[in-house]
Amino acid sequence: MAITILPPVVEDVAPYHADSDDSMSGADSDSDVEMSGVSRPNKKPRTGDGKISSGIVTPGEIVTADPKWMRGHGTYMNPLSTSIIATVAGKVQQTNKLLSVHPLRARYIPEIGDLVVGRIVEVQSKRWKVDVAAPLLAQLPLSAINLPGGILRRRTSADELQIRTFFSEGDLVVAEVQSVHQDGSASLHTRSLKYGKLRNGVFLAVTGTGGSGASSSSVKGGVGSGSGSSAAAASSGTGGGVVRSRRQVWTHTTANGGGEVDIILGVNGYIWISKHADGAEAVSSTTENVSITRMEEMVSSSIYSSQNDDVPPQTRREIARLTQCVRVLVQGGVRVDEDTLTDSYEASLQVDLEVGDDDEEEEYGQEGREYLEGAKARRILELTMQRK
Amino acid sequence: MNDRRRVNGPPGGTRPPVYASLLQSGTGADTRAQRQRQPTDLRKIFLKTGLIPSASGSSYLEFEPSASLAAARSNPKSLIPPSSALKLACTVHGPKPLPRSAPFSPNLVLTTHVKYAPFAARKRKGHVRDSSERDLGVHLETALRGAIIAERWPKSGLDITVTILEAEDDRWWGDVPDSHDASWGMMNVLAGCISAASAAIADAHIDCLDLVSGGVAALVSDDSTDSPSALPKLMLDTDPAEHRSIVSACVVAYMPARDEITELWLKGDSSKVSTADGDQRSGHEALIDGAVDAARGAHTVLAEAVRESLQKTLGQS
Amino acid sequence: MSNQRQASSASQTPHLSPAELSYLYTSLSLPKSPIRPDGRSPTQFRPLTAESNILPGTNGSARIGFADGTQAIVGVKAEVEKTVLSTDTLASSEGGEGEDSTSTSNSAAASGHGSWVQMSIEIPGFRDDDALPVFLSEMMRESLVGSVADGGSDGGGDGGGDGDVTMAGGLKGRLVINKRWHWRLYIDVLLLSQPLSYPLPLLSLTTHLALLSTKLPKLKSQGEEDPFFDDDWEVAEYLYPRSSNLKAAGNASQYVRPPVTLLVVSVGENIIFDPSREEIAVADAVLAISVTRDTEAGNLKLLSIRTVDPPSRLTQPAVPNSENVNMLGATAPTEDIAVLNPATGEEEVPGVWRPRRGGVKRSVIANMVKTVLKKGGVGEEVLEGLEGVEVE
Repeated sequence: MAITILPPVVEDVAPYHADSDDSMSGADSDSDVEMSGVSRPNKKPRTGDGKISSGIVTPGEIVTADPKWMRGHGTYMNPLSTSIIATVAGKVQQTNKLLSVHPLRARYIPEIGDLVVGRIVEVQSKRWKVDVAAPLLAQLPLSAINLPGGILRRRTSADELQIRTFFSEGDLVVAEVQSVHQDGSASLHTRSLKYGKLRNGVFLAVTGTGGSGASSSSVKGGVGSGSGSSAAAASSGTGGGVVRSRRQVWTHTTANGGGEVDIILGVNGYIWISKHADGAEAVSSTTENVSITRMEEMVSSSIYSSQNDDVPPQTRREIARLTQCVRVLVQGGVRVDEDTLTDSYEASLQVDLEVGDDDEEEEYGQEGREYLEGAKARRILELTMQRK
Repeated sequence: MNDRRRVNGPPGGTRPPVYASLLQSGTGADTRAQRQRQPTDLRKIFLKTGLIPSASGSSYLEFEPSASLAAARSNPKSLIPPSSALKLACTVHGPKPLPRSAPFSPNLVLTTHVKYAPFAARKRKGHVRDSSERDLGVHLETALRGAIIAERWPKSGLDITVTILEAEDDRWWGDVPDSHDASWGMMNVLAGCISAASAAIADAHIDCLDLVSGGVAALVSDDSTDSPSALPKLMLDTDPAEHRSIVSACVVAYMPARDEITELWLKGDSSKVSTADGDQRSGHEALIDGAVDAARGAHTVLAEAVRESLQKTLGQS
Repeated sequence: MSNQRQASSASQTPHLSPAELSYLYTSLSLPKSPIRPDGRSPTQFRPLTAESNILPGTNGSARIGFADGTQAIVGVKAEVEKTVLSTDTLASSEGGEGEDSTSTSNSAAASGHGSWVQMSIEIPGFRDDDALPVFLSEMMRESLVGSVADGGSDGGGDGGGDGDVTMAGGLKGRLVINKRWHWRLYIDVLLLSQPLSYPLPLLSLTTHLALLSTKLPKLKSQGEEDPFFDDDWEVAEYLYPRSSNLKAAGNASQYVRPPVTLLVVSVGENIIFDPSREEIAVADAVLAISVTRDTEAGNLKLLSIRTVDPPSRLTQPAVPNSENVNMLGATAPTEDIAVLNPATGEEEVPGVWRPRRGGVKRSVIANMVKTVLKKGGVGEEVLEGLEGVEVE
């Protein structure tokens, strides 16, 4: 069947009863939050009450009226009163005397040292402007990139003239946040062999650190929503997406003859999945008898190439599978990191076996078997959560 | 969509005059235009480039008036011409730098405008481009973009403006707008626009893969000649005024050197067609092939016109 | 700004890097089994949720949502309008010599007029006179009003009486009330968010559903008197008769159905349906093909084809390693051997993206149309699927 048309899904929201506080902890597929033990938000100002309202607050709600607290991010104070009022919806956090409200889903805010994947949107005379899913475009100065061949020298006007030969509009780069300006915009650098232009793979955008990236709305809701509600509740509770973690870049050995695949999880929620680039091997296969130092040079010179290597179909298939695993995880509201992605990949292989076993209609099984949605996605999520 | 510059009267407030002679002779079958050409005969095309000195490239295109129109002009019986013949002018401005605000483009950015002169059609057109004119603009852009080698002119823009001085009718003027009220004339206009714009681009010395030319073919059922059950016949370069009922029509923009179609617009029911014995093609395939044949014919004129203007400049220098 | 807007398809594409484009193109053009980025099979559509008759204030309505969150709502409203009498009708009413009975059905009063169907498309981020909404609405309207059931063989369907069952003259004929009055149909399409891919399939499917659910109130007046209607919604008749309406339980294929426009792209030798934005970005050719059911033959009938400008023509080219100034001396220059791409007829270095140029071969077009039309093909499955959506 070429087309699947589903009846509209009524999101399984428990009816709101004013008198029962624990109705909120029921399954609410749309909120990625674990809400058990959270008191119902109360809009009524609690004056004179020295208590901090715990858990979740909404904008305008008084967090506390006790003057002993200091106000942090996500709050404001009326000039005449001492009560701290929330300005964003989120969780109250308390650091010593500082009270702040952390929004549960927000956009990516760059921090120094973040590994990000970005897309060049504008080329200026001495710098590039890069989209990193942050509110402001990041900049990548010409002086913050490695010159081809690893030569160390000042950037000349000749480099400025051929700035598009390094990175041009639309190119994807992997870079590190070098500094963050006053206005929150980031300055990037690619001064490492790990960084540079991305090739041989696919790009996808999901929710970034603690927040919602450009496409978070695009992967939420609609078909299959509600599928991951139970799984989401079981997960760590910070919502789906990529978070800062131990390893943002790793190599995954895929099944079905796919070989090794590199995965770069940008902290900003931009993900790059590509064929594993074994630099030294690639170089030595093309030119023989190169010295070690020369080899280094050649690896670094290929960072500005826009030509793809030969990627065999098996690898492409497994890359597509990994891409879908990410989508399934995000749709289920599960955090994307090395462990969950590896688990869900294994789970998807297992689901494939299960489907292959009991599928009567062989043809149908063949038809869209690589498309993971609906029931398959649910099963993968279940298996992933079991493995945790 | 609204014309904000002028105060226009309420739409539909006026109606064309009704002539007494019409009421007497019914639908006036005697003055009805009839196709005199063979089904595969094309109308002659007049095409000349370089007529507008201020533009970097320009062309003027005119279709040969149909036989009935020519007869009516030489020996006028009625105030109303039985059909009309396409006349249009095309100007090309550029390549010129893109405005500062525009984002970087590694390719030549093409903009096309198609505008009917207010007096071009039997029914007056407004000064603001209506949806059919915008639609034509999109079709023309698609047709030309495939032919132009855009990466030869990075960061620059090219404006192509087609002004239609006399448009092709959608039907014979005496027929009421009825079941075949689809805008068949627009397809002829588009074919003319494509050929003219192609000549103007060549005149402006923009790199292109081939001179792309437009051609029209239609499936026509003239039930006046045969029994009503007869299958529609394939005709090339149809003048809608000459046919009682056009069942479906197709316009292509075609590059003979590569045997490729850059723009295809087919509409109508092409499921039934009377083809020669042994012809296995389905209706739409026959239609597309017919339109391609018509475009091939237009291409010879196109190439000749471009060559002619080049030889003229060579002779002058 | 208006310059950019004009580029109808181009403004839809994200800037993809040449490496991404090349990877996508090679994946999608793998002979026999293309690998789509989301793992679908070439003819597989993205799953969608659909419901119809959702707006009580309309004659018919529908909503369709894709999994990526884009949704379209269509409302159909019908209003009664006085038919402007033409010279022909004047003539035939005055004397009408030499006019036999069949040719009266040719007049506008009996067979309807295309301008009675009005369509407007609202896409966030576009003005209503931008090229894309205009192009889309013209494309959908043209197949809608063009879908005339063969007028010659059906003969006279002059009047509202039996017209609602046989639907002579297609949609236009259905809108005729009597010689002086007709229905005017307003089809308003609303896209709820900025489209993430070329919105044509979504809009077309939603419009189809809305038209299927559209009902017109039952006419109580007779003949040529000024029309008045039964206010009982229960007895209102479907604009497009449905099988549940008739006692004779016939096959659905016997009824006239609104057309549906499918977006088909070709990449290499593969033909791919319902392309995502990334897939359109690398397509060699993009066609919008409108089909409907042929009431006589029972199979599908082609209504219109339009080419859509493939955005791949406007993309950024890649630089082969051998020409890359940043790689001088790094690779052996003989490495890149240009290979002839059979689909485009151009020489290409593998792995290096080149913007598409030129057009599409006739054989490719024929192939794409065949895939849509063939028995049991994608077109039929889509129509069947839409038929299955419950009204109410």
